[in-house]
Amino acid sequence: MSVFSTKAEKVFILAFFFIALGVPLFFNENTFYVNKISTMLILSIFVMSLDYLVGKTGLISLGHAMFYGLGGYLFAIMVPEYEEVNFWIYTFYVMAASSVIALIVGLIVLRTSGIYMIMITLALAQMTFYFFADSTEYGGLDGLFIYLKPETSIFGLNFLDLDNETHFYYLCLLSLFNCYVFFKITLQSRFGRVIDAVKENPERATALGYNIFHFRLVAYVLSSSLAAYAGYLFSLQYGFVNPTMMSWEVSASALVMAILGGLGTVFGAILGVFVYESLHYGIEHMTQYWMFWMGSLIIVMVLTLKSGIAGLVEKLVTGKRK
Amino acid sequence: MSECVLQAENLSKHWGGLKALHEFNIKFYDKSLHSIVGPNGAGKSTLLNILCGTYPATKGVILYKGNNVTGLKSYQFCRKGIGRSFQKTNIFKASTCLENCCIAAQQRVGGSFNLFKSRQSSQFIKQIASDALAQVGLSGRADTVASAISYGEQRQLEIAMVLATDPQVLLLDEPMAGMGHEESLTIIELLKQLKQRYCIVLVEHDMDAVFELSDLMTVMVDGQHLITDVVDNIRANPLVQEAYLGNDDEVF
Ligand SMILES: Nc1ncnc2c1ncn2[C@@H]1O[C@H](COP(=O)(O)OP(=O)(O)OP(=O)(O)O)[C@@H](O)[C@H]1O
Ligand SMILES: [Mg+2]
Repeated sequence: MSVFSTKAEKVFILAFFFIALGVPLFFNENTFYVNKISTMLILSIFVMSLDYLVGKTGLISLGHAMFYGLGGYLFAIMVPEYEEVNFWIYTFYVMAASSVIALIVGLIVLRTSGIYMIMITLALAQMTFYFFADSTEYGGLDGLFIYLKPETSIFGLNFLDLDNETHFYYLCLLSLFNCYVFFKITLQSRFGRVIDAVKENPERATALGYNIFHFRLVAYVLSSSLAAYAGYLFSLQYGFVNPTMMSWEVSASALVMAILGGLGTVFGAILGVFVYESLHYGIEHMTQYWMFWMGSLIIVMVLTLKSGIAGLVEKLVTGKRK
Repeated sequence: MSECVLQAENLSKHWGGLKALHEFNIKFYDKSLHSIVGPNGAGKSTLLNILCGTYPATKGVILYKGNNVTGLKSYQFCRKGIGRSFQKTNIFKASTCLENCCIAAQQRVGGSFNLFKSRQSSQFIKQIASDALAQVGLSGRADTVASAISYGEQRQLEIAMVLATDPQVLLLDEPMAGMGHEESLTIIELLKQLKQRYCIVLVEHDMDAVFELSDLMTVMVDGQHLITDVVDNIRANPLVQEAYLGNDDEVF
């Protein structure tokens, strides 16, 4: 069985990663665009992790940015100041710590569902936001700075320099690719079978002997820890973390991007991010009323595209073949 | 009679002031079919729901093979071997019929927390699932999406899913409701075979089917046990006739 669920997904993923590999060569002089696209790749990981939760597991969170922010903060707090640490080791630390936090938070929020879960995830994220915004120890609204980027040697081999924009870009691209493959594999696994069942009909899944709480918890931890990984990459790219990363606007716009891309399609997250961010960037340069135009455009797109941009790609690909 | 597998003692379920089930005592025996009849709202579904843990009893004890299972979580009942089908069709509509049964079979085979093993990899799961489909006569529909099959076939699928969990007790809530004549006959034939291997509790309004299939019958009214006996005695019992005919007068 292939990783791809549909032909459209295969076409898109192959084309996307093929083009993405060439991006730094194309923009070779202009690191501005390479950086911009790196950020979109990071955001794609974040939105994909949200789609895993909302579109695949059927749990709606309006506080997912909490883990995005925590990813950055966990690193900034754990890392000794003015010391160059190892990227891979700290990646492990950040993921492990965020998984533990996600497990504890999951035990609380997954007792609820539907509108109540939306409220409690939002409330917890806002609490965390204000905790960091008000704390003098963690820099308040200014957040924390990351003075030295980690080095990336494994077994004495050092082929990646995080200060180099192109290198960092490829790290983000590889991360997104791994994240996509990981999510797809887990969704096609035996675990994924139960996740599908729990999403479609939790009552029936329970009657068949599944403790749905445990399955939701595992999905929640997987999703949250990858959101944290995305936040960690983001903080490495810009050299700081601040509470804005976990504001409710970040959670909400991630949800918009996931819906725009096509909820429950996984690869749609990439589409959602790139279309949303390109529009944002484009319209912002044309008019100061960009929020109004952007909002209108998104409403139109969500209304006309039933299953998001992924659905549109689906139509284009299958249409051509007929 | 063979041994008693499932037993309820003083089982009660009160919804606020409504006694949907009141001080109910009943025994179900292995390898037999025990049907429960009664007018609408008598509490038949409530009894089944409590016997498989969908909601907790207000009072009373459930004994399964002599063990007290009253406090178990609903998902644990299925694992013990108490499987149930729903009065209102309750399947995974977006999946194929085979996949519906695979979901059921995987629970019993295990490995459901394996994130990396492909769900298609196990021939064993597939085998259990297709056997279950074959038993209810749905083999031809294995690869059809569940939402696309007829209503009667969905009722059959409902039973196939229970079978795939390898139960010992089958709690069937009106499996024939809304079925065509032909389809009902299939189910009656199926139940005749199944009752040689399982303990079946059947709630059903189709009296012809009930009389044909039952080893024992229980009549219940207003959440209370009226009578349990073999079919012929029930048929002749004046109390039963009264319960059915006189029911309307009791609503003041
Ligand atoms: N969740 C609930 N909350 C409150 N009352 C309930 C609930 N479920 C059932 N009841 C009530 O309990 C009584 C018994 O209902 P139940 O569904 O068990 O009847 P039944 O014998 O299965 O009827 P039918 O033949 O119509 O399926 C009814 O009066 C019903 O209104
Ligand atoms: Mg009923």
